[in-house]
Amino acid sequence: MTTTENRRSKRTEILEDRPVNLDGFVEEWPEKGLVAMESDFDPAPSVRVEDGRIVELDGRVRADFDFMDTFIADHAIDVETAEEVTAIPSVEIARALVDPGASRDELIRIGRGLTPAKILDVVKLMNVVEIMMAMQKMRSRRTPANQAHSTSAKDNPIQVAADAAEGALRGFAELETTLGVVRYAPLIAIALQVGGQVGRGGVLTQCALEEATELELGMRGITAYAETISVYGTESVFVDGDDTPWSKAFLASAYASRGIKMRFTSGTGSEVQMGNAEGRSMLYLEIRCILMARGAGVQGLQNGSISCIGVPGAVPGGIRAVAAENLIASWMDLECASGNDQSFSHSSMRRVSRALPQLLPGTDFVCSGFSGVPNADNMFAGSNFDVEDYDDWNTIQRDLQVDGGLRHVREPEILQAREKAARALQAVFAELDLPAITDTEVEAAVYAHGSGDYPDRDVLEDLKGAQSVMDRGVTGLDLVKALERTGFHDVAENLLTVLRQRVSGDLLQTAAILDDDFVPRSAINDANDYGGPGSGYRLQGERWEQLKKLRHVTSAENPETEVS
Amino acid sequence: MTLVVGVDIGNSTTEACVASVGEGRVEYLGTALTRTTGVKGTPDNTQGAVAAVRRALDGRTPDLVLLNEATPVISGLAMETISETIITESTMIGHNPATPGGEGTGVGTTVAIEALASASGPCIVVVPAGWDFDDVAHEIDSSSAQVVAAVLAHDDAVLVCNRLATPIPVVDEVGAVEKVPLGMLAAVEVAPPGRTIRTLSDAYGLASVFGLDPEQTRQVSPVARALTGNRSAVVVRTPSGDVTDRRIPVGTLTLTGAGKTQRVDVDAGADEIMTVLSRVQPLDDATGEPGTHVGGMLAQVRDTMTDVTGQPANEIRIRDVLAVDTTVPHEVRGGLAGEIAPERAVALAAMVRTSRSRMQVVADQVAAALGCRAEIGGVEGEMAVRGALTTPGTAVPIAVLDLGGGSTDAALLTHEGSAAVHVAGAGELVTKLIDSELALDDREQAEAVKRHPLAKAESFFHVRHEDGTVQFFREPLPSHVFARVVTMGPEGPAPVRTRHTVDHVRRVRREAKRKVFAVNAVRALRQVAPGGSLRLLEFVVLLGGSALDFEIPELIADALAPHGIVCGIGNVHGTEGPRNAVASGLVDAWSRR
Amino acid sequence: MTAPAVQRTLSLKEIGPAQRGSRPDEVVVAVSPAFGDYFSKTIVDVPHAEVVRQILAGIEEQGVAARMVKVWDTADLAAVAHTGARLSGSGISIGLLSRGTAMIHQRDLPRLSNLELFPQSPLLDAEVFRRIGSNAAQYAKGESPAPVPTRNDQMARPRWQAKAALLHLKEYECIVAGRKPVEVEPVVSRA
Repeated sequence: MTTTENRRSKRTEILEDRPVNLDGFVEEWPEKGLVAMESDFDPAPSVRVEDGRIVELDGRVRADFDFMDTFIADHAIDVETAEEVTAIPSVEIARALVDPGASRDELIRIGRGLTPAKILDVVKLMNVVEIMMAMQKMRSRRTPANQAHSTSAKDNPIQVAADAAEGALRGFAELETTLGVVRYAPLIAIALQVGGQVGRGGVLTQCALEEATELELGMRGITAYAETISVYGTESVFVDGDDTPWSKAFLASAYASRGIKMRFTSGTGSEVQMGNAEGRSMLYLEIRCILMARGAGVQGLQNGSISCIGVPGAVPGGIRAVAAENLIASWMDLECASGNDQSFSHSSMRRVSRALPQLLPGTDFVCSGFSGVPNADNMFAGSNFDVEDYDDWNTIQRDLQVDGGLRHVREPEILQAREKAARALQAVFAELDLPAITDTEVEAAVYAHGSGDYPDRDVLEDLKGAQSVMDRGVTGLDLVKALERTGFHDVAENLLTVLRQRVSGDLLQTAAILDDDFVPRSAINDANDYGGPGSGYRLQGERWEQLKKLRHVTSAENPETEVS
Repeated sequence: MTLVVGVDIGNSTTEACVASVGEGRVEYLGTALTRTTGVKGTPDNTQGAVAAVRRALDGRTPDLVLLNEATPVISGLAMETISETIITESTMIGHNPATPGGEGTGVGTTVAIEALASASGPCIVVVPAGWDFDDVAHEIDSSSAQVVAAVLAHDDAVLVCNRLATPIPVVDEVGAVEKVPLGMLAAVEVAPPGRTIRTLSDAYGLASVFGLDPEQTRQVSPVARALTGNRSAVVVRTPSGDVTDRRIPVGTLTLTGAGKTQRVDVDAGADEIMTVLSRVQPLDDATGEPGTHVGGMLAQVRDTMTDVTGQPANEIRIRDVLAVDTTVPHEVRGGLAGEIAPERAVALAAMVRTSRSRMQVVADQVAAALGCRAEIGGVEGEMAVRGALTTPGTAVPIAVLDLGGGSTDAALLTHEGSAAVHVAGAGELVTKLIDSELALDDREQAEAVKRHPLAKAESFFHVRHEDGTVQFFREPLPSHVFARVVTMGPEGPAPVRTRHTVDHVRRVRREAKRKVFAVNAVRALRQVAPGGSLRLLEFVVLLGGSALDFEIPELIADALAPHGIVCGIGNVHGTEGPRNAVASGLVDAWSRR
Repeated sequence: MTAPAVQRTLSLKEIGPAQRGSRPDEVVVAVSPAFGDYFSKTIVDVPHAEVVRQILAGIEEQGVAARMVKVWDTADLAAVAHTGARLSGSGISIGLLSRGTAMIHQRDLPRLSNLELFPQSPLLDAEVFRRIGSNAAQYAKGESPAPVPTRNDQMARPRWQAKAALLHLKEYECIVAGRKPVEVEPVVSRA
């Protein structure tokens, strides 16, 4: 008899070499919180109200509350309905979430009074298809959208402007950037804003930074919104970051006071990753974050594990939990920017399957965001999708007739937008006395893929220029003036119109974005009215015609040619 | 009252000075500074000029803008390495690992560690990459051969030595150890810590070690020289092994002037180039041999000027050249461990100026942008002197030195009249010299070294400045500067990526400044001084960005002191320091019309 | 540097309570509770024996002395490393977690700061550990070593993030609250 110990079948060898086997997987360890959403160590739902105050929450009396419990009990749960709705059997609520006949409004009313454990109890009853069904109804904005990352490994502002223009043209409603060298921030934020308004007037931009600078750039109108205000599900993690729910709520009000759109960020896995899960499941802790966001009064939340996706991604049922956390954010009537924004898997199949629970039902922002630059240039450490996936994404939208927020754009239009963005930035830099952008750099921006395709900048001069933007108090209005003076009237007009939203405050409404006509579309005037087949957002008409286009489609009229 | 703005468009900065002029009185209201847009003297300047005026005006509307007659000055820089060290047949390893092992000299036959079992007699073991230090020590100790020294690929010398029953000299970090010739007689020497080798760096030492006759000793003397100053070394005796210091021919420079044409080999060095240059003053033109760096640089300076002015290339003349000797660390050809030798190099700055200015276009565009009149108001050098004269304590006759980025300019005003000159070489050349001599390969760092004094961050709470004084801090310094040589800029200490000491970096920095600015100060002033005699100048006022440098004025003052000159930093209006002289001079000259 | 063919094992022999050193030429290597104990290798299977051997070799090659300390009451890298730094005669320490994450620390720095940090444990191999030892020793001598180049791999997240979290949790299980740091002698033997 021959031994087979060291001999492997050819099939095993082939399977062993598949990219999915480069991903990491671990067993659950519920005692420590290394479990997605089904844990014996999560509390049972309970709530008791006395004198208009919650005195018991999920098995804990007020004297034993940690500060998360206190904040949620005092600010996030409707004491009028809490006892009533928490008493409804979970299965009834879960079925109502899926039932097209049950209205979104009624579910929002119920959701307002539920405790974290009760919410968990409800979603635990739902499989991933049911979660998607519910998401389709509970999403706050009727029309789905998408968000892009536009960054540069060399912090090259011309690259950021050109890729922002292309991203806006392809359909992203929001553009987000961040930095390698933080001091570059003012120039990159300007580049993102100028490039974005070239690509499509009305696109909203943000620059992820430490909180003070991010707020200042927003107040100056160089950026349009903010997103990277992180919250966590346990007191110990909050304390480690020298923060409390109240300090985050205060920051949120600072943005609101200036009419600036903002949302919090949280996600499953962050607490266990830091070793402070306090024995709770990832989803239970994330529900506490979602309720904290609602209690703080912010309009929305970015969740879907975000930078910790490797943790839920490695445990059984983890991606179902991630789909559930997005659903709960929507159910709590928050805008949901639903993740899919970090490198997730070596396997393209897993990358797509991870995104289906958001892409198929549609969310407020399916990705938050999709890398609008090659992943090597992505300063958020890489996204689940990048520019090389544009054509695949467009094809999936067309195959399944779903709207993932993007469209195919022909190359001449893209090149034109990239050139105009680079030219506009060149003019703004010259007008604001910032380090010059040469014609060679503009030329490079038109045809480039990644940061390596651009001439190197004089970093020292750029950093001096960036500092002078801060020192001189340059604002969004200065950008408008510079664009107007240098002949970019339409771009100036676009930016000015975005800035005027500060005064009307319409972007503070839940899930607000600006459409092509600068009309704010939010949960108020574009409310999700899904009520079963034939209702809600339907991909049809002009938009569907747009999405039928791909890079190569054989013409029916003349099969010897292609249409695109 | 008339609101007048003087604007000075310089090579790198554009300065503005606002004044209210009326009834013979001039009231200075403010100044501003911005980066010059485009090449000086071209229509691209408009943007910078308008920005400077707007900033200086602070919302007011001017009646008149005065622009200097800015003639385009373009400068270029090039560097040619003129010596090269070559090792043939891997005859020596002259690199200096930070931590060699053992002490003393071992002489024997080179043997690969794999072949140690079959070796006999005194031998030097050669260990390639991949061998663990414990295993190396074990192999040596258990060998029947008499191992007298070792040469290692990894940084393992101390580790191996510490594990041997009897320590031997060990040289490590020899990256290309596989190229060490095997079966050859060789010697390894390691000096005690803090000392340098004595045997292998001495010709007779080598002769004794290898039993050489007088002729052979003469041949190996370059090897000895090349190893001087090292703490450790390996020399292998091979049939035609050699170390040569070769001069690299890098072409000639042709200088025309004073009716003569002279040619000089660039590899003859800076002194020779400058001597030849002095014979053809005033220079009419210079050309370099095509295909050399110098030739390319001179051609490029000419091309740029053609692009800027539209003047045909054959009409553009190089009007000045400055050559400076320097050294550039280069990897030795044929070396086995990435040995670095300081090679000699010549740096050249060249300058071209043209009379064809397009300032009228700039004036028209400025007038249109600001809605006021704009005039071109006078010769730059003359205006600079007028501005300099607002420095308290100055009087006619007076000379100014404007220390810029690309050129050093001198101007003289006497009761009889004025003269002005531009010479090649200024701040940019200093940066380049610092960059290449310290092998920083980073213009930003070189710029920081040039601008700021040095210090060493000796702990988290104190630095020792380059003058030896100590400064303490209450808050700990950032961790990335700990134990590093730092520049003390306005934003706090910033690390310099170098293993050199503070003293070495400081010496390089001061030498670079001296070689450019002290030399150019004398050169430029000679050209404007009556009869070329510096003794006839009494007051020299330093102007321009480099006059703000913390030590350049002092270096120039030292160079001028022997000529009995009072030299100091300009303080325009008594408030502006060495800035804004030309802009102020423009206003001053207009008010006297 | 290729790993030696021989397999070695590590045991950390307790000597007694860790004392503050007085030699200005020493580097303290402080390890977390589970190092060389519950765990025997890093997240990418570099044996702890090899980690310690290479770090100590890096220090020894620079002619600097090394002491090892086991920290029991925390598994936070900054706290482990800072504990080591405060015990170190030179003020320089190397902190090490079982999964391989490492840090060079200095006594006068705030706990949460560091001289060099190597957060990506999956990218640390024997050669990097040698250089970490070498750099720490050079800091102890007052020299200015070039920082060990840090590597980055965007795909480390999908592969290692969850295992790192698991190892982190296990390490925390091994904490002995209130137990003071102990000086240990590393015994590396050929298996």
